[in-house]
Amino acid sequence: MEYDTMMMDGESIGPSVKISAADRTHVDFELSSVDLSFANSLRRVIQAEVPTIAIDLVEIEANTSVLADEFIAHRLGLIPLDSREIDQLNYTRDCDCDQSCGKCTVTLTLHAKCSSDEVMKVYARDLIVGIDRPNNHIGNPIITDPDGQGSLIAKLRKGQELKITCVAKKGIAKEHAKWSPTSAVGFEYDPHNKLHHLDLWYETDAATEWPKSKYADWEEPPAEGEPFDYDAVPNRFYFEVESAGNIEPDAIIQEGIKELQRKLAALIHGLGENDDMNAEYDGPRSPDVMDGGAPWQDQGGYTTPYAGAGNTSAWGGGGATAYGTTPYGNSGSTGW
Amino acid sequence: MPARTKARAPSAEDADMEDAAPTSAQQVAEDGEPMEEDEDNEVGEEEEAEEPQRVRILPGSTSTAASFEFLKEGHTLGNALRFIIMKNPDVEFCAYAIPHPSEEKMNLRIQTYDTTTATAALEKGLQDLEDLCDVVSEEFWTQREKFMAEKS
Repeated sequence: MEYDTMMMDGESIGPSVKISAADRTHVDFELSSVDLSFANSLRRVIQAEVPTIAIDLVEIEANTSVLADEFIAHRLGLIPLDSREIDQLNYTRDCDCDQSCGKCTVTLTLHAKCSSDEVMKVYARDLIVGIDRPNNHIGNPIITDPDGQGSLIAKLRKGQELKITCVAKKGIAKEHAKWSPTSAVGFEYDPHNKLHHLDLWYETDAATEWPKSKYADWEEPPAEGEPFDYDAVPNRFYFEVESAGNIEPDAIIQEGIKELQRKLAALIHGLGENDDMNAEYDGPRSPDVMDGGAPWQDQGGYTTPYAGAGNTSAWGGGGATAYGTTPYGNSGSTGW
Repeated sequence: MPARTKARAPSAEDADMEDAAPTSAQQVAEDGEPMEEDEDNEVGEEEEAEEPQRVRILPGSTSTAASFEFLKEGHTLGNALRFIIMKNPDVEFCAYAIPHPSEEKMNLRIQTYDTTTATAALEKGLQDLEDLCDVVSEEFWTQREKFMAEKS
């Protein structure tokens, strides 16, 4: 399938990517020669549908801290956990086990008690990761700070204790934002607003009052007095992906595309299964495909909310409905 | 040249109309599950009934003009799929809608010329989008490798 010709009507050579910056937590790139709809799908999928692992169930044995149980449970959920090679972990709902097992969950335990007069801080590093898991990095709390402490969970005074067992599960950010692999995704196109997708508010002059995008010098500014091109479509998209730490940013993009393909594959598979869907034309249908103009509701001998007016209802008009006039309906003269 | 869909012989067979409701009224079977297309089709019960059928054709569809209802899909798939299907020269019209934000449903309307069927156009659209994903994924990875090589 040659997408180069497919995607663009002109001379362009198919989707291209230009990476402008990348480090451990970021990747900035330009995606060009794709449609806005595809670029937006990519953005949506990396923000909300790339699976990661996060603490989902919290069993609190002892909590004598000043924080409420659910407050701590919420904080625990938000701790980023290592989600590389998440494919090795099942969704709990798909797993063969009864409740949870090493194939679908990672257990983390926390036991902290303050015995000194000073305030004790409990960090993500204090979570002890259970050994029953698919590989030896999945579910590890992400620790990136120079002191190697990780996220702060709670502070304890003398005599206060926390004894908690957490069950981390695989999930997606559509269900809860704690499963998001990204902390932010920048998405930008048309820095000069040539397409007029934005209506910039201004006092005297929009060009001087609005700060320039950093991508403004990547594209030709509009020429003086250039007429508005109403056929123009956005073509270059600037992504700035910031990882939450649980997956590397470039892997997020790959996983996102994979996730999109998984969706498509599932649908193709589903369509193939009851091949072909022509069978479904046997199902209920709207009146225009019925032969003649007979009031269709009368056939069944029962009344629906739509049946009241019989022939005069919006649905009962036979060939007189809006459908009848389309080139597709043929007013029931065909088998369809 | 953009590829065309292979035309499929439509198997025109009418069945007795047991119930006809407008598109807006959802068919619900006794068990409360949305009606499956292959309900009357005993052979349709696949051995691995893992993934429930998530696409169905809405009532009132013909072979060249059909509305599909996707369960558990949204703008992520809808808009990209709509675009790629419209790129098919056999397709006269394609649009998608999410009828209500609190229902996880996405409707897709496809109207084709006589050269193909709506189902074939949908299938081709899905395949094309998957191919596009492959291209972008590959391109991203080669550019990443290049960037890494340049940096070090």
